[in-house]
Amino acid sequence: MDYVALQLFNGLANGSFYALLSLGLAVIFGVLRVVNFAHGALYMLGAFAAYLLLQDFGVGFWPALVIAPLAIGVAAMGLERLLIRRLYGLDPLYNFLLTFGLTLIIQDGMRLRFGLQGQPYPAPAELTGSFSLGPVGYPTYRLFVIVFSLAVCVLVWYVIERTRVGMVVRASTERPELTRALGINVDRWVTPVFGFGVALAALGGVLAAPMRNVSPLMGSELIIFAFAVVVIGGMGSIVGAVVAGFLVGILASLAAVFNPALENVLAFALMAVVLLVRPAGLFGSVDRT
Amino acid sequence: MRRLIAILGATLLVAAACGGTSGGPGASATAVKLNDGKLVIGVINDQSGVYADLSGKNAVEAVKMAVEDFKAKYGDNVLGGTIEVITADHQNKADVASAKAQEFYERNGADIILDVPTSSAALAIAKVANDQKKLYINVTAASTDLTAAASCNKYTFHYAYDTYMLAQGTGITVTQQGGKSWYIIYPNYAFGQDMEKSFRAAVISAGGNVIQSDGSPFPNTTGDFSSLLLKAGQLKPQVLGAMQAGGDLVNVVKQYNEFKLKDQNIKLAIGLLFDTDITALGQDAFAGTLYTTPWVWSMDDQSKQFADKFLKRTGIRPTFAHAGNYSAAWQYMEAVRRGGTDDADAVVKQLEGYKFSDFFIRNGVVRPEDHWVMHDALIAQVKPKSEAKEPFDYSKVVGTLSAEKASRPLADGGCKMPK
Amino acid sequence: MRRLVGLLPYAVGLVVALALPRFLYPVLALDILLWGLFAVSVDLLLGFGGLLSFGHSAFWGLGGYAAGITAKALGVPFPVAAVVGAILAATLAVPFGYLAIRRRGIYFAMVTLAFAQMLFYVANEWRDLTGGENGLQGVPRILPGLSVGRSMDFYYAALPLVIVGFLLALRIVHSPFGHVLVAIRDNEARAQALGYPTWRYKLLAFALSGGLAGLAGALFALGHGFASLDLLHWTTSGTAVLMTILGGIGTLWGSLVGAAVVLLVRDTLTNAPEASGVVTGAIFVVIVLAFRRGLWPTLADLIRLARSKGLGP
Repeated sequence: MDYVALQLFNGLANGSFYALLSLGLAVIFGVLRVVNFAHGALYMLGAFAAYLLLQDFGVGFWPALVIAPLAIGVAAMGLERLLIRRLYGLDPLYNFLLTFGLTLIIQDGMRLRFGLQGQPYPAPAELTGSFSLGPVGYPTYRLFVIVFSLAVCVLVWYVIERTRVGMVVRASTERPELTRALGINVDRWVTPVFGFGVALAALGGVLAAPMRNVSPLMGSELIIFAFAVVVIGGMGSIVGAVVAGFLVGILASLAAVFNPALENVLAFALMAVVLLVRPAGLFGSVDRT
Repeated sequence: MRRLIAILGATLLVAAACGGTSGGPGASATAVKLNDGKLVIGVINDQSGVYADLSGKNAVEAVKMAVEDFKAKYGDNVLGGTIEVITADHQNKADVASAKAQEFYERNGADIILDVPTSSAALAIAKVANDQKKLYINVTAASTDLTAAASCNKYTFHYAYDTYMLAQGTGITVTQQGGKSWYIIYPNYAFGQDMEKSFRAAVISAGGNVIQSDGSPFPNTTGDFSSLLLKAGQLKPQVLGAMQAGGDLVNVVKQYNEFKLKDQNIKLAIGLLFDTDITALGQDAFAGTLYTTPWVWSMDDQSKQFADKFLKRTGIRPTFAHAGNYSAAWQYMEAVRRGGTDDADAVVKQLEGYKFSDFFIRNGVVRPEDHWVMHDALIAQVKPKSEAKEPFDYSKVVGTLSAEKASRPLADGGCKMPK
Repeated sequence: MRRLVGLLPYAVGLVVALALPRFLYPVLALDILLWGLFAVSVDLLLGFGGLLSFGHSAFWGLGGYAAGITAKALGVPFPVAAVVGAILAATLAVPFGYLAIRRRGIYFAMVTLAFAQMLFYVANEWRDLTGGENGLQGVPRILPGLSVGRSMDFYYAALPLVIVGFLLALRIVHSPFGHVLVAIRDNEARAQALGYPTWRYKLLAFALSGGLAGLAGALFALGHGFASLDLLHWTTSGTAVLMTILGGIGTLWGSLVGAAVVLLVRDTLTNAPEASGVVTGAIFVVIVLAFRRGLWPTLADLIRLARSKGLGP
């Protein structure tokens, strides 16, 4: 029984990353109608930023948690201005392909510079050690990741649903023309929102660095899971992305208890079921398909 | 008539002069004739992945060093042509390795391929070498299949170590020292599966038992072994046998410490350890660990000499893979020199049954029945940093495994070498 | 006269196909041929059906594994193994397509990507069948009466099958089915209003495209003697899409040109540190931003320009 409980926590930890990534994807898609394939690569850049901040500047985990997402977010805003916005008038498939190309460049470029080996990154001293969960210890850091990610997701939800800024973003998403007609400069919001979505991915990367291998391909499989999560949750839905993210993480880890082979396949099997039963996604609405 | 004798005499004189100057100092009587005027040595390994540090680009340097030293010893034209070293990155993928090997043999005129870590890639290249009828000396992969009925063939040789040697050393020693019940985790591809088999057999032969074994994905993009380590905490074996290698091993050890398994009296036994792994986490993370290896750079003066040259050239001390590549390249070139040709079948004849020793191989014999290079192995232990006399001084030798003990009995392999 | 000019691509194509392994390393020529067919299958779906499948590596890979397993286990002549691969791939395309077609546009692409990745994991786990990480090694290629061991021989032996596949794609596109497909691509609502069961057309197109990709993948595995997980990876899908776009969407011939260009560029840069990802990604970015038309239409334009200036036939 302890084993199952521990796996549950593992699932929540994995789910945290799915949720953060899917959240960013959903926000970016909501406002820009861009499916950012590069999201996984940007998550990886966040982890590397934390690593480099420590290696080259001696900046620790806590400042990195703020600096890395900011830096990567700003860089992404530059990318949006330079490249992505050129393709807005076209079929969104083109931006998908553009971000795919960017993913290859970023991942392979990092691989050439750093190799695939994976760089070590220590958890901050305050969070090393383990929490006693029954007779076994569970790393404190992983518990922190779960709590922190949940907090961030709730915060983002609050900003989008309950604040004026969020209201403008939502309006721009759902009724861009009408919003413009009301005198709000929708276009001004596009770039910062993209940067924000990317910053969420980079934040996930910083959180992942002490837990996983900081390696150029760390995001490349994660992004596909994030896509599956977004299809399950419903593309335009913020709540859907977060709920589906944690759900997939938990279910995958529980499936692993029965048969380790099921862990990876579960997300896609779930996606197939959702497509069959509710194509718009658990929280999606049909008019967005 | 007098003219004829003069011409004959001159011709004889010239022939004698040519015969005398061929090869240079210490040359054999037969001048070497290369098939296409050049000797091409291909080094295929992992240059960007989990095994890039333990062999990788520095292994290529080791081979280049061997070529340079060989020419320095015998003269630039010792083999009657240029000696070229070409290299490719197989990215730990068997299909890439297979394609690159074929390309090297067919398109680049490679006469031999060296190194090749990652057992699945190693086995794939064995097949290509056999199809192309060209030489292949594997240095860095561990699978016993290379010399077993499954994949052994006339052109494939297995040089430095294999899973049997590692299991006989570490598996038996740790079990005898009180680690009777084992939980083995291994990377789920040819190498890991082979390690699991060999270690299981060794542990049982020493009176222990294996509670369970589980495979981890390879390549492991997440670097996350937590579900396996949690399971170890649940199963409570006396020994956790970790068969992961390179970057994967570094993560296992890191997380083994994170989950505090040592406090639960679960010892860690490591199947395959390289100096580069120790560099990644620091000596103290591994202190006290026993492991089996064909060579340690600090073991004697000859080895230290090589290690010094290597350090100057690459900035690090050599792993046994680096040293093994140097030694294998050297012995290959020697075989070409002895036989007077780079024709693959002739070189195979030169190698089979050949007895030799150099700084890397002690009491070496190339077994003609399965092309396994028998040699002594070492049992080493990692020292804590306080005992290290210089950077990279990681281990001390605590035991030896004789060539017979370290080599799998022929009957177990079942290799039937074609005549 | 017009007819002759129309036949020109076919003639040139045949000559190039026959001569290719004599100018290039035969394995490279084989790769160009088979990736070309793979890209054609993607173009069939994208250019004429308007559906971007980003998971076509599922069919390429399934074809490869199916052919490999069949050839190893049953020792059949390689064309049989290739057809088995094609049929199995087309069969898998039905349930995949059925679920994926429930969404449109970008979602369709994401769903296909996800399904292909699922197949990747399944293949990885089903070690007894696929060899897992080790891959399926030692795939034989047999043709009764002839020896196809050498790469050059296999190239010529496989060429007829590839030509059949390509002609099939052309036939589909120029048939009434193909015309309806294009109509659906342009305006699905209108096609539905005209009474066409659009999703059935799309599903059939998906299955045919999957089958073609499976044929190409099967021949690839047979040609290399190897089926590996790489065949199923999403970067493989991406490369095929790149070749299609580079060549020109909706041209079929362009995909062949695109495949040749990408593989030749990669081969030339082999001596540089293995940077195929950066190169492929850069080509992608440049194409999508500045050269969406692709090579084939540009080439056609150039020829038209030359002709109008009185320079050509």
